[in-house]
Amino acid sequence: MIRSVILARHSFRRSRAAVIAIAIVLAGFQFLLTQVAVFLMRNQAFGMLSALVPEFIRTMAGPSMVAFMSFGGVVALGYFHPIVLASLLGLAIALGTEPAAEVDTRFSDLTLARSMARRDAITRSVILLVSVVALLLAAMTAATWTGLACCTPADAERPSFALIRSLASALGAVVLCWGGIALAIASGAKRRATATGATAIAALAAYLVDYLGRIWDPARFASRLSPFHYFEPMALITGDATNGANLAVLAAMGAAAVAVAYVRFARRDL
Amino acid sequence: MNAPAIQLEHLGKRYGRVTALRDLSLDVSAGEVFGFLGLNGAGKTTTIRIVLDLVRPTTGRAAVFGIDCQARGLEARAAIGYLPGEPGFQGDVTGEVTLDLLAAISGGAVDRARRAALLDRLELSVADLRRPIREYSTGMKRKLGIVQAFQADPPLLVLDEPTEGLDPLMQDAFYGLIADARGRGRTVFMSSHVLPEVERVCDRIGLVRDGELVLVSTVHEIRNLSGRRVRVSFAQPVAAPAAWPGGCEVIEISPQRWDLRVHGALGPTVAMLAALPIADLEVQMPHLEEILKTHYRVGSPRDGVSQ
Repeated sequence: MIRSVILARHSFRRSRAAVIAIAIVLAGFQFLLTQVAVFLMRNQAFGMLSALVPEFIRTMAGPSMVAFMSFGGVVALGYFHPIVLASLLGLAIALGTEPAAEVDTRFSDLTLARSMARRDAITRSVILLVSVVALLLAAMTAATWTGLACCTPADAERPSFALIRSLASALGAVVLCWGGIALAIASGAKRRATATGATAIAALAAYLVDYLGRIWDPARFASRLSPFHYFEPMALITGDATNGANLAVLAAMGAAAVAVAYVRFARRDL
Repeated sequence: MNAPAIQLEHLGKRYGRVTALRDLSLDVSAGEVFGFLGLNGAGKTTTIRIVLDLVRPTTGRAAVFGIDCQARGLEARAAIGYLPGEPGFQGDVTGEVTLDLLAAISGGAVDRARRAALLDRLELSVADLRRPIREYSTGMKRKLGIVQAFQADPPLLVLDEPTEGLDPLMQDAFYGLIADARGRGRTVFMSSHVLPEVERVCDRIGLVRDGELVLVSTVHEIRNLSGRRVRVSFAQPVAAPAAWPGGCEVIEISPQRWDLRVHGALGPTVAMLAALPIADLEVQMPHLEEILKTHYRVGSPRDGVSQ
């Protein structure tokens, strides 16, 4: 375990500039969203936004659209915006494919030729994924709460801290799930590019399958296999307290992927 | 430790349809310097990677000081310092951080004075160590690789092409490190294409060809097998003798010049020549290169001279 920590610290040192930069950007975005919500509230724009959407679309979208076009919905946007999700997924894939990178560059010949178990390389990646994702979500949550606490009117319909925490947890769970999947793929890959590409394509396919499954019955069963099926931020915003079950499924998927990574990496030729 | 430093028993490795190693058995005694030779793709690196458990054998087993390299890999690797053929250093990291990281992973404390002495001997300065490795030349990377392999003073050194990229002065420095290691009872297992180097530092050599071990011998025995070249020039034409002394083989003969190969003792040949009007006499020890090149070719007979 100690070797895993040594390697994780080393990997974090190498990537800390990028992680800190991403944290600043995401935190900045979260803070600014609180101010966007204040702006829309002061200009009574939520009602205008809703009125701009045709009636039949409002009906189809259901209560989620109403929930989104609100102060809380705009603040929460940063926890499910496609670009934020894609950025965090990209980072998780980059961190999760480090074992493949080390095989590719032959750095693993230097580390694994020592009295270091192969599982330590996988444990390193797990430590790194969990700590970096936790750090980024903490930064985002802190920025959201700071924006709400310091710079929003008292009469604003602020989302509760519990909601923000649930949204951050949901985002973290789906990102870590994909980090685990990246690790499982990387554990058998000879090149980082192969592992990254395969994981990215899998994530894209899973996202599209889930999207189809929400609106097309024949795809509904297949969408249950997608981790994105268990990422339901709008359900959280509308007050549907199903986060526990979704988090458990995502955690199980991620854990299964990590278990595969341990087994594959232990058995392969390097 | 009485067990051999390296023990390979019927080692085989297949990658799909390709057979990289076939039934390779070899013992390397503790304290010896062993040269592992062969053409590119012969199986040298595969053998080394099996010893390090980076690759798993299809058949057979490998052991280091009696410890199975696969079943008890952590213990086995604790005794090994490894220099890869192409060290995969991380370019954005400094040499110093790399050495510290690898020392920490090894679990044992590295003697700083020993590391400093190695760096000094290989002329890698403190300033060099504080630069990122992407700024290093090929030779500097090789030196860093040597330091990381030697710094913990392991009982067994496994070195893959150790002097590649080093200038002649640094090669000499490296040979000095080998001599020191041998003097401290360490075992060195090195693969090399540089036959003069092998000739200089190795006690025994093994030659692998097409995945099979075709020759294991001391350098001295190999030279004796091949015999010495004797070139004689005469002041006047001389007739060839009716019978040549034992061990003497004619390569080329002309009235005033004989080109001979002598196996074993030179005495009888010298005694025969003493009575002749010699103008010049040249005796050459065979170079390993000349001898081994015949063994490198597929189709040459196996010659396990001694194990």
